[in-house]
Amino acid sequence: MNRSIPHSTVPPGNTAVISQAQLQDEFGERIAARLDMGAKVLPHDVTARLLAIRLQAVGRRKPARVANVRARTASAVFGSGNTASMSMGGAGGPGFWRRIASGLPLVVLVAGLFTIHMVQNEDRLRELAEVDTDLLTDDLPPAAYTDPGFIEFLKNGLQQTERQDR
Amino acid sequence: MASEKELADFLQSVETRAFKRSVYHVRDQEAALDIVQDSMLRLSEHYGDRPPEELPMLFQRILSNCTLDWFRRQKTRNALFSNLSDFESAGDDGDFDLLEALVVQDGSQRSESAEDVTSRGEILHQIEIEIQALPTRQREAFLMRYWEEMDVAETAAAMGCSEGSVKTHCSRAVRALAAALKAKGIQL
Repeated sequence: MNRSIPHSTVPPGNTAVISQAQLQDEFGERIAARLDMGAKVLPHDVTARLLAIRLQAVGRRKPARVANVRARTASAVFGSGNTASMSMGGAGGPGFWRRIASGLPLVVLVAGLFTIHMVQNEDRLRELAEVDTDLLTDDLPPAAYTDPGFIEFLKNGLQQTERQDR
Repeated sequence: MASEKELADFLQSVETRAFKRSVYHVRDQEAALDIVQDSMLRLSEHYGDRPPEELPMLFQRILSNCTLDWFRRQKTRNALFSNLSDFESAGDDGDFDLLEALVVQDGSQRSESAEDVTSRGEILHQIEIEIQALPTRQREAFLMRYWEEMDVAETAAAMGCSEGSVKTHCSRAVRALAAALKAKGIQL
């Protein structure tokens, strides 16, 4: 910033019309001009360090936003005419289809869990139905299983059968 | 988005004043260089993709924050915030006339002698001493407003205060500087 010491705009003998704010600004500008002169002569080690700092900062510059890169990639795909689906998305197409694709595994997982639940439910009902069918079609009435004597008979009978088998 | 060259040019344009401002604040050359380094790296790493016109305001804000961080690290927060002269009433300026600190130039060209050069260097030295002696907020407002040539609104945004506060800080800084320089027999 090159700036020379400003000449006074205050006309001699006509100071009453000058506002305090103007005087302040003029004084501030004169001080700033002096400071500018001082800033031009820095020690060599300071200027060298400032140069190194600047180069380091530029080297670590934040790269362009990823969204811009994606947009360029999508337009390239569109230009080559690879897919119809990309062209339907317009400017927001790639993002939309990517969101759809990212949600797909979740939908498949939920559908799979629901199918497994339904199959297991069917199996359990079928097993219960088979037990009920066996009980009802057997010669022994189902009420017999509620009789304690019959239960005891079954236990003893089973034990005797096992002993005989040995 | 600022290109690499635009960012480099911007940093080059502000580095000297940023360094000197930091020196006025912390009064330590090495610390001032560290502050400038932190500020430039933060700007570049976090805001390097911003448009060039946004860089000056961002940098001023970052530089102020880095300076504050340095003071916090040095545990001199009280010295930074509770300088009582910031709260002095505006009425203590007495009958000081700012006009007396300004010399009206007659417009005629004068050749500069070696004595003038020495005198100019001494005046600059005295000005820097008085700027360093200002309260922190007054110094910050004054340097942003007049040295960085920011307007009142921009200075207020960079300092995180109201425009009225900026005007008050600047007014007090100017009066303090004018009075101190006049006491030393220096006229601008």
